[in-house]
Amino acid sequence: MAPRRSAGGSGAEMAAGGRAARGAAAAQSVCMVSDFFYPNMGGVESHIYQLSQCLIERGHKVLVVTHAYGGRRGVRYLSNGLKVYYLPLRVMYNQSTATTLFHSLPLLRCIFLRERVSVVHAHSSFSAMAHDALFHAKTMGLRTVFTDHSLFGFADVSSVLTNKLLTVSLCDTNHIICVSYTSKENTVLRAALDPRIVSVIPNAVDPTDFTPDPSRRDDGTVTIVVVSRLVYRKGIDLLSGIIPELCQKYPELHFLVGGEGPKRIVLEEVRERYQLHDRVRLLGALEHQDVRNVLVQGHIFLNTSLTEAFCMAIVEAASCGLQVVSTKVGGIPEVLPENLIILCEPSVKSLCDGLEKAIAQLRSGTLPSPEAVHNKVKTFYTWRDVAERTEKVYERVAGEKVLPMNERLDRLISHCGPVTGYIFALLAVLNFLFLVFLRWMTPDSIIDVAIDATGPKGAWTKQYFSGKKGRVKEEPPIS
Amino acid sequence: MEAGSCGPPPGCPPGVEERPFRSASGEPLALRRRQHSASCRELALRRPRLQLRSLSAVTSAVWLAAYGVFVLSENSMVLSAAIFITLIGLIIYLHFVKIDQESLLVIGSLGIQLTSSYASGKESTTFIEMSRVKDVVINEAIYMQKVIYYLCILLKDPQDPQGVSEVVPLFQSSQPRLDCLMEVYKSCQEILDQRKEAPQSSGIK
Repeated sequence: MAPRRSAGGSGAEMAAGGRAARGAAAAQSVCMVSDFFYPNMGGVESHIYQLSQCLIERGHKVLVVTHAYGGRRGVRYLSNGLKVYYLPLRVMYNQSTATTLFHSLPLLRCIFLRERVSVVHAHSSFSAMAHDALFHAKTMGLRTVFTDHSLFGFADVSSVLTNKLLTVSLCDTNHIICVSYTSKENTVLRAALDPRIVSVIPNAVDPTDFTPDPSRRDDGTVTIVVVSRLVYRKGIDLLSGIIPELCQKYPELHFLVGGEGPKRIVLEEVRERYQLHDRVRLLGALEHQDVRNVLVQGHIFLNTSLTEAFCMAIVEAASCGLQVVSTKVGGIPEVLPENLIILCEPSVKSLCDGLEKAIAQLRSGTLPSPEAVHNKVKTFYTWRDVAERTEKVYERVAGEKVLPMNERLDRLISHCGPVTGYIFALLAVLNFLFLVFLRWMTPDSIIDVAIDATGPKGAWTKQYFSGKKGRVKEEPPIS
Repeated sequence: MEAGSCGPPPGCPPGVEERPFRSASGEPLALRRRQHSASCRELALRRPRLQLRSLSAVTSAVWLAAYGVFVLSENSMVLSAAIFITLIGLIIYLHFVKIDQESLLVIGSLGIQLTSSYASGKESTTFIEMSRVKDVVINEAIYMQKVIYYLCILLKDPQDPQGVSEVVPLFQSSQPRLDCLMEVYKSCQEILDQRKEAPQSSGIK
């Protein structure tokens, strides 16, 4: 059974707001690949989901490929027929799969073929599956896009190795997307890329999920909210220095800390040592839907990150009407205008000064109202805008050629250094030979084309099936 | 292979329709449909029988390997063991592994009977009462290193009328492709739809 809409098919049965109505370029069949997706929670997961939904709304076919999470394996469907493949691959470390560069090829090839994928969009430098998918997609002659969500160092051993892997992965990728200009600089330097193939498309926030509610605040106190993973990179050691200093200075000050991680014990020690049990509440791990309910209880949002490419948390906090105080690191200075954020150096003294400034503004009543802040922030970052800009990247990529094998090998050898270049050129050849073997074992022609479930008229809806059943009944009975 | 409709093939009794299809791995299949009555239909999927050529190839390979070991070890027990293992292996394969035909008998008023016929002639049968059947659906699954469509019966949950207590996969051995599954699905749905409409029509009478 042929798919209801091929990768470049007509838009007759797409959403009213889809590209058929706008007369735009051909719809793409996009495969998002990352180790990080629901039910795991975080910035990358949220980005992939929201971007996928908006691309579906714009008339594209989108599917997500990730690894199995516990019992969640196989093929699942999310809202609007967003199809998710939870592949049975072994997780090695920190939700990232183990890789041999070859073992995932048969399964990914099958998915790319049956879904008639035209663009493979990989997410996150930390995802082994994303790098695997890019490698296999290039071998299969598909267009590739990569979104980098992180900032990296250059000096330590792990950064050197990761940067080398990134150089190999991105040297022949059609286009790269970064979430901030700082992130773009970082990625261009790390992977030795041509800046012209790197675009900046920021993250976004769903403003309807993060609305202010001043009635939830206790105006008899000043509440500082911190919501982040309690890990070194998020500057929890700085937070442990700030809490006792400010609590001593301001008796009406309270801290509300949401999140879980190995650094929780540091905060518990501080609370114990300074007897701050009634003023410092550690809420533990939060579900995504509970974050807003925590944010609206505060007056000031504190972000102590030591490195950050974009920082969704400060946008979410500002959307809830909080005054943001944050470290001036990575892409954070680009995220909010100066009147909505107080930027500080990543030190206890500087952050304390910033918080004192925010407390003074709060007391004097010079802070803008939560509603005014929310109305301002909700126009800054919208997923529809992100999807529109990502779509432009896909259109650009669709017009580019995929490097043939000989040019790809030349690129790897010339771009990745004499040792790494030759090693990965050999791996690319082996990957190609493995693909030839798979094509001989299971020819492309015998892999079933998947029924397109995407969109408001897709196979996941009742209307589609009732229509199908009607057609089934019309057929003459077999005698 | 295209699933072009054809009449009864040579050797087929009247009222029986057979059409060629392919499995997910590309091997040829034959879907035989027989309509016993308006609410009773039998659908059988036949796979190719065990080829003498492939059997000879496997046997020769095992015996050559055994002969090689015999040359090195000079122990004639190796040859005897190889012959014995080949025969036992063949019996086990024909009796427990190699399925020649899988059939589905759908009787609207009674239930669904699943039958697997092994190469040795052994048959295994499962019967599901129609009162337990919630629906017949085509689902997707990751199987080994590929993603395939498969047909399955959803069984009602006695506690929750909307829920599903169990999923019974059909044609697990032959693994037909989507075009073949659609044919079987349509046939099953026609009978299931009759069953759903029957109480309403009797009420009108």
